[in-house]
Amino acid sequence: MKILVCIKQVVNPEKVEYNPETRTIKRNAQHLMNNPADLSALEFALRIKDVYKDVHITTLSMGPSECESKIKELIEVGCDSCVLLSDKRLAGSDAYSTAYALAKAIEKLGNFDLILCGESSLDGETSIVPPQIAEYLNIPHIAFASNIKVLELQRIEVERKVKNTVFKFEVNLPALISVKKESSYLRLPKLSFMIKALSYTPQVLSLDDLENFDFSKVGAEGSKTSVDRFVEQCFEDVKCEIYEEIEDAQIECIADLVTRFL
Amino acid sequence: MEYFLSEEQKIIKKLAKRISDEYVSKVAIKYDKEGIFPRDILDLLAYTELTGVYIPKEYGGFGGGVMEMCLVVEELSRNCAGVAVSYAATALGAYPIILYGKEEQKKKYLPKIAKGELIAAFALTEADAGSDVSSIKTTAEKKGDYYILNGSKHWITNGGEADVYVVFAVTDKSKGPRGISAFIVEKEYEGFYCGKKEDKMGIRASSTTELIFEDCKVHKENLLGREGTGFIVAMKTFDRTRPGVAAMAVGIAQGAYEHAIRYAKERVQFGQPLSSFQAIQHMLADMYINIEAARAMLYSTCRMIDSGAKDFSKESSACKVFASDVAMKVTTDAVQIMGGNGYVKDYPVEKMMRDAKVTQIFEGANQIQRNIIASEIIKEY
Repeated sequence: MKILVCIKQVVNPEKVEYNPETRTIKRNAQHLMNNPADLSALEFALRIKDVYKDVHITTLSMGPSECESKIKELIEVGCDSCVLLSDKRLAGSDAYSTAYALAKAIEKLGNFDLILCGESSLDGETSIVPPQIAEYLNIPHIAFASNIKVLELQRIEVERKVKNTVFKFEVNLPALISVKKESSYLRLPKLSFMIKALSYTPQVLSLDDLENFDFSKVGAEGSKTSVDRFVEQCFEDVKCEIYEEIEDAQIECIADLVTRFL
Repeated sequence: MEYFLSEEQKIIKKLAKRISDEYVSKVAIKYDKEGIFPRDILDLLAYTELTGVYIPKEYGGFGGGVMEMCLVVEELSRNCAGVAVSYAATALGAYPIILYGKEEQKKKYLPKIAKGELIAAFALTEADAGSDVSSIKTTAEKKGDYYILNGSKHWITNGGEADVYVVFAVTDKSKGPRGISAFIVEKEYEGFYCGKKEDKMGIRASSTTELIFEDCKVHKENLLGREGTGFIVAMKTFDRTRPGVAAMAVGIAQGAYEHAIRYAKERVQFGQPLSSFQAIQHMLADMYINIEAARAMLYSTCRMIDSGAKDFSKESSACKVFASDVAMKVTTDAVQIMGGNGYVKDYPVEKMMRDAKVTQIFEGANQIQRNIIASEIIKEY
């Protein structure tokens, strides 16, 4: 089975810097991290590989060359190969353009049985890139999965948890699944994989490597949306109330809070 | 300080640091308080392949040496020396097999130790034979194809938790130290029991127990090396594992130092942080100097051993003595800087001070180490 996992390198939200002139986020290599929801998707791919030994996992990222150092971390946990789609003409691409470019790169890389993505990226949070990739590739997709199980070759079961209800879907492969960010946590690296990562260089694709590529669909010009302005959000100090004695109404209030956040 | 570790050694240190900071730090106080053996952490070390860093490649390990083992021990000790010693005790049990095991013994045990499937232990000390190793009383009497072991061992790290024990017993009382032999004993062997578990001052996450042998049958195939070479097996093993105690001491000291600095920068007295007072600054500077000196000595000794040097008892003992004395001094000073908060169990330095003490005691008390060093330097000049 060939699995592809789309993994974005995002700027650590605690260290984000904004360029007001280009209205883009500065991608300083030191402050990059692999998008947590995408790592959750990668963990599901690795779990499938734990069970089925002939599984090959490829990761696909899109971004500047600074992303390479973070991509190596994907080899450290057991990915077989990593690809970086990197081209200056992609700068300023919105979700629509990104999905198009990633879909073309996936077509170039070959036939994958399963494509996994995180539900959204920390910086964009649109959640629309995964379904758009699936639409471009003309394959079925299920969004916001909380679990993935291989039923048989070329058929999987996908769970989606909404509050206290679990929806189960079965889908034939190839398919694209986007995964909820806290549905799994990426495992620790292994020493032998870390040694392998030392000398590993990701395969880098440029737009010229892609076939039948419509350049008018990418970059700031080809995007259908653009960032108008950034607003810094300020949080007021949280105020605490201390209750000496707990009454029934308070217990109900606490129970309500717990239910809402579970 | 830059220690010019190889890229692979840097990776080992980084991985061990991550496990220490993300996992060990979260359980250190609980495991210390409740005396919980850190099997879950050992499982993580096994998954990440750090259990095999010092095992030769041909037996499924990474192929590193004492340095690689010490890097893991040092990083684990930054958060919990009890966890670190549980890891290091397996190395203490594995080294006699690496050094003196027959090919079949190596093939049988080392790959499983490398994978973390087996925990090992080293059983030498007895109630009346600590630093005076040659006074052990446990006997191994040969009967046909078996040796029959009788006696007891005390203060055995990983006791009750280990799957494989390297046990030292007297095979010929008339020959003194030359009458001691080493055996591999598996936990299921008939006549082998685990006795009392010690309630220790520090390294409380580790298991320290008594071991009892009552007509315990050990096949002659389990003899390590030749009969009568047990004393040499023990001493040559200690030469390689004493730096492990030094690594533990450096790690404990580093952990306490980091807590003390953070505290000194946050705690305000007389309207300014503690770190602005010269009395505190000098203490922090001394901590840094001592830790770096101990680490430099430790790494130099490890490099010497791993380079294939033949005789390194003096260097091995010296780094153990120096680092353990540094750990005791640094942790005591960390408690002093943190005052009342250092003396209570809410902050980890109280535990670190208790943990540091044992590094001056086990694998040969520092007084005995100084005897070894003195004997060597007097011979040299």
